[in-house]
Amino acid sequence: MKVKKLMAAMLAGSMVMALTACGGDTPSTDGGDAQASGDAAHKISVILKTTASEYWSYVQAGANAYGKDNPNVTVEVKGASSETAYDEQMSLIETDMNADYDGYVIAPLNADTVKTMIAGQTKPIVAVDTDIDAPEVKTFVGTGNEAAGKKGGLAAVEAAKAAGWTDIKAIEICGVEGDSTNDARKAGYKAGVEEAGGTFLDDETQYANATADQAVTCMEAIMQNHPEGIAIICANNDDMAMAAARTAKSNPNYAKTIFLGFDGIQSACNAILNDELTMSVAQEAYNMGYTAVETVVKNLQGETTEEFIDSGASVVDKDSAQQRLDTLKGYLG
Amino acid sequence: MTKIKKKGGNGVSLGTLLALVVLCVLIAIATPNFLKYANIMGILKQTTFNALVAVGMLLCLITAGIDLSVGANAIFCSCIMGMMIQKGITNGWLMLIVAIVAGTVVGWINGMLLTRLHLPHPFVSTLGMKNVLWGGALLVTGSQMVNNFPEEVTWLGSKVIGATAWGGILVKIPFVGKLLSGIPIGFLLVILLYIGMHIFLTKTALGRSIYCVGGNPEAARLSGIHSANVLTFCYTLSGLMAALAGIVSVGRSGICNGTMAIQPYDTDAIAACIIGGASFMGGKGTMAGTMVGALIIGVLRNGFSLLSFSSAHQNVVLGLVIILAVFMDVVRERMEAKARRMAAASSVK
Repeated sequence: MKVKKLMAAMLAGSMVMALTACGGDTPSTDGGDAQASGDAAHKISVILKTTASEYWSYVQAGANAYGKDNPNVTVEVKGASSETAYDEQMSLIETDMNADYDGYVIAPLNADTVKTMIAGQTKPIVAVDTDIDAPEVKTFVGTGNEAAGKKGGLAAVEAAKAAGWTDIKAIEICGVEGDSTNDARKAGYKAGVEEAGGTFLDDETQYANATADQAVTCMEAIMQNHPEGIAIICANNDDMAMAAARTAKSNPNYAKTIFLGFDGIQSACNAILNDELTMSVAQEAYNMGYTAVETVVKNLQGETTEEFIDSGASVVDKDSAQQRLDTLKGYLG
Repeated sequence: MTKIKKKGGNGVSLGTLLALVVLCVLIAIATPNFLKYANIMGILKQTTFNALVAVGMLLCLITAGIDLSVGANAIFCSCIMGMMIQKGITNGWLMLIVAIVAGTVVGWINGMLLTRLHLPHPFVSTLGMKNVLWGGALLVTGSQMVNNFPEEVTWLGSKVIGATAWGGILVKIPFVGKLLSGIPIGFLLVILLYIGMHIFLTKTALGRSIYCVGGNPEAARLSGIHSANVLTFCYTLSGLMAALAGIVSVGRSGICNGTMAIQPYDTDAIAACIIGGASFMGGKGTMAGTMVGALIIGVLRNGFSLLSFSSAHQNVVLGLVIILAVFMDVVRERMEAKARRMAAASSVK
């Protein structure tokens, strides 16, 4: 009998504790430095395109850093296994939309699909990296791949002029055809190159499925088709740009070619410092993650946020590569 | 085996060779750059990876099995070397040894899963292994792309005869040096490997056992062949070939990236084997045929790049080629079965 009473008391105690813990409005007791986000506890779901790449690990680090700075905010980051795993991301979003989160940060693999999936959601949603054209989305945090690509295109033409090229032609080694990020970067490169006075050879675009291995094959074909050399080779990521630059390394007609990558990851910075890559467009991934979570929290506190927050993008070249490398190393600890 | 003898010992079907020639002619008409010497050498370089993983795939197909983890295993091995760089290890020889051991062990595990744990079909176990290796490749590198590999590691995938400077010494091959000038070292390895494997498969007891296990498992058992050991050997060798392919991959691109593990390298290898005369039913397939199959895939991909084909068109054409190859396999099977029936009927008369 005594045992039963003891068990009943323990059960009742645990239920009371559980109920206390579930109280969403209960102020955090350990949130001493939670000035920015107020005292209310918030649980934010961050769904990225993937967590299996260096670029997205910075976005992840930024989002987690906000959680560390604000102990009353719980940040849960997840992502698909690759940037082409559309179904996987859809499942993640479906699951989390019905879970007990207070707000969402979403980097959509396919913005149109996500738009239908979040329809009617009343909790605040912030799009990161790629915009979602939906009324449920309070803010878009990012640079926009197109705008960033344009910056790269402009810088590449200037670099080509400085390298002595007079007939400035550019060929792109693309990622996955039909992917919205790929299309936006391509459009950006094209706009930048043409605005700066170069010629973007659209018909000669090569598709390498975002892999270095296939980029080598593409670069070999470019050298066959243009033995005279091409001023600019722009690629949709750093892997492909570095592989292309390596392939053309022994070809004297490509010695002055500008190889432009995208993402500005650590290996790319090292490659730029070692003259194995000319430049790379870098979006501020860490800031993107941090600001996106911060923006969701602001919305939860009743603030109205801007429709677009520019997280910044820059072109990393030999002058800035070391500084960026040090910064990136700092993000990942 | 009978079929191999019928084809004069090399096992290349005339139809497959003709397909390669027709393909080359068509692409050469479409783009004059195709027949340039540098481009031909480029095709050999591009074919090296697929030709290597196709060796292991062929052995598995001959045993009526399959190894879907070859591509992921190759990338995993390259990422193991990448991890060593991240940890500050710069000894290229050590990296090569570790990568080769890792790939071989993965292959051995595949074999053990099939023969000792009795998983129903290698399709399941190697598909599972593919995912394990994909995740493993990302884990060991922390999902980061790694570059700056030492010369010893990149040499195999990047150097060509005539321009092979290693440690300041120009490697020259007397007499044939000029003739072979421009040929990728990796592809030379492939040629030597294919010759060696051809001899192994056709002239040794173990090689013949492989055909026997795939063609008629019951007959193999009755003749005292230890099928489990033969199968384990095939998958282990497949792992070793994948490791070599991983080393070539690092040499070609200069980087490793775990995200590449999901690329359909296994599909290309299967296509090369089937085009070359291997069968999903087992008991068939030759090294020479597989080489022609790998070259067809390489020529196709090279043509796509020279003609700036979009990904959509590339996928359609490659898919059709694979379907056609499998269809040819089925037709070949039917014709052979019919021929056997007719031969049996005539012998009864």
